[in-house]
Amino acid sequence: MAQNHHRGCHRRNHQETVGETEEKRSKFFINDHADILIEILKRLDGRSLCVAASVCRLWCAIARNNSLWENLCFRNVSPPTSSVRSVVLALGGYKRLYVGCVRPVRSLLGRVRRASMARDEVQLSLSLFCVDYYERLGGRNSNGRLVGESSPSSLMFLCKPVNV
Amino acid sequence: MKREHQQICGAAAAGGYGSSSGSKGESSSTNKGKLWGEDRDSGDMDELLGVLGYKVRSSDMADVAKKLEQLEMVMGTAQEGGISHLASDTVHYNPSDLSSWVQSMLTEFNSPATSNLDPVFPNSDSNSAKPRQQQIVGSNQSQVYNDDSEYDLRAIPGVAAYPQPKRIKTSGNDSSSSPTESSARPVVLVDLQEAGVQLVHTLMACAEAVQQENLKLADALVKHIGLLAASQAGAMRKVATCFAEALARRIYGVYPQDSLHPSYTDVLQMHFYETCPYLKFAHFTANQAILEAFATAKKVHVIDFGLKQGMQWPALMQALALRPDGPPAFRLTGIGPPQPDNTDALQQVGWKLAQLAETIGVEFEFRGFIANSLADIEPDMLGIRPPEVETLAVNSIFELHRLFAQPGVIEKVLCSIKTMKPKILTIVEEEANHNSPVFVDRFNEALHYYSSFFDSLEGSGVATPSQDLVMSELYLGRQICNVVACEGVERVERHETLAQWRTRMETSGFSPVHLGSNAYKQASMLLALFAGVDGYRVEENDGCLMLGWHTRPLIATSAWQLATAE
Repeated sequence: MAQNHHRGCHRRNHQETVGETEEKRSKFFINDHADILIEILKRLDGRSLCVAASVCRLWCAIARNNSLWENLCFRNVSPPTSSVRSVVLALGGYKRLYVGCVRPVRSLLGRVRRASMARDEVQLSLSLFCVDYYERLGGRNSNGRLVGESSPSSLMFLCKPVNV
Repeated sequence: MKREHQQICGAAAAGGYGSSSGSKGESSSTNKGKLWGEDRDSGDMDELLGVLGYKVRSSDMADVAKKLEQLEMVMGTAQEGGISHLASDTVHYNPSDLSSWVQSMLTEFNSPATSNLDPVFPNSDSNSAKPRQQQIVGSNQSQVYNDDSEYDLRAIPGVAAYPQPKRIKTSGNDSSSSPTESSARPVVLVDLQEAGVQLVHTLMACAEAVQQENLKLADALVKHIGLLAASQAGAMRKVATCFAEALARRIYGVYPQDSLHPSYTDVLQMHFYETCPYLKFAHFTANQAILEAFATAKKVHVIDFGLKQGMQWPALMQALALRPDGPPAFRLTGIGPPQPDNTDALQQVGWKLAQLAETIGVEFEFRGFIANSLADIEPDMLGIRPPEVETLAVNSIFELHRLFAQPGVIEKVLCSIKTMKPKILTIVEEEANHNSPVFVDRFNEALHYYSSFFDSLEGSGVATPSQDLVMSELYLGRQICNVVACEGVERVERHETLAQWRTRMETSGFSPVHLGSNAYKQASMLLALFAGVDGYRVEENDGCLMLGWHTRPLIATSAWQLATAE
């Protein structure tokens, strides 16, 4: 999709410089239709979404849109209630939830996946997400040390390689 | 038997190397054995060693390295005077031929040594260490002496006490021997397992000596333990070192340990929280029970007997926030020990939790109580509201066992809990009996328990020893010191098994609440996320959940409610 965009752009420039006498036919340029763009990006997986974010400024802004990441988190799971959305947004947003918790949880549990587990995975991810937020709170803990200075992160265990 | 062996040694191709292969009769080494005599002069020698004057075939390098390692270990674990004969009596032939020289050293060394070990240290692994077994290939012909389970280290799950020598591969014909069989090479006479067994036996002997107040012997044994521990690797070494230190403290009367600043113990616990799933398991399962007990209550109150960093509560608050009919008003009372520098650690934790609560939209109230012991807390201090107004849950993670240090305290506290009229009481405790009045029993229990624990830390997939791992080990090390070295009021790590707790709770007027399948599912999923997924086990035990390493349960979560009035 990124290549198409570039080609379209290129062709347009070419045409304008070469064929000025030609009618400017109305070309479909995806960036003019943000809603369609969002629909398309909604169906991407996490990695592609990150790649899409590096295409241009518009795409970057759109890719940061929480609803896209929300879709990723709740893919294959029945849609969440509105209270979930407010909680997740308050704790840091869906992109953070996905990258920090949902994706590692899904990949670590990948071997034993069953469809029925999808909802539980998300719930577990939410709990871990909340614990992580709590840990990052506060700025200084009771020792006066800055949090984050060699203090443990509760999500670290998700980063460890799985012993296959 | 020994004679025969040495004859075979002499009879086969020059040097000991060929004989081992010949007697083994295995496919992997027969080639080497047959060809050894012929290729001796024509084989390609390693150049670098050749420059130094040693003749080692390049193909033998790995083998020679292994044998040198074994030799080093054997020398390290030899009892005093055990290796002096090497200097005087042994005749060394052609030391430049490293391969055969090391081989002859090994065989020389082991023939006198093993006869000493036999009567004192019964060996539970039949096939590995005796020269007698050498000619019998892959058979199960074991000694007549069969160890009873007390010494059977195979009862300790995992590889802590019964480590598998890592680089020695077993050949395919080894099917008849046990999986912990060291190798198909009968050349391995004194292996890691032998030293491991010796180590455990020495530890137990030392404990016996301490119990009998034979401090001189205990002292000598403790020093020996140090030597033996150095030859081990991984979890076994750490466990042995911890126990040796604890025994030394007991012998020299250096207890209690210098008490650490409570915030430092909190840091240790935090690292322990990260490295392994035990605390997470405890929190998640207790939270699930509390959540289910709260059901649709509009006002809820939780009393936490050991607030520490409050790591349990964010997950509960998040679950409450996402309740279908909205979050309740959540009140938390946290109890904690006094801080030496008078900082109010509890308030800081409460403040953090309040921030979180505000973020996720849960009405929150916090109160902290500083108390030296749970017995000092009176129910009316806690501002408990009647059950119709507010649903109460009491939570204790690894706190109640400390109350056994003084008589009558546990009964008092359980009584107080009953007057509070909680809807649910969640208890998480270590699954072990470390409260026996007999020192040796306590010691042996602790040895098995912490071996499994350390083994699980080792096996949890942490590739390089990280700070977390070290901190977790320190955390456990302090517990070990307390169990072994302290007595009386200072000995607070008085763990009891789930069965013991059950009896106690039921006689005190509580009835069990079964932890549902949700808790089990969450726990299993949580464990699957930990790298050492092959070792951890969640078990359901009559409504309680236990988390263990391989076959050994290590912690147990149980939930209780007031027995319905008669």
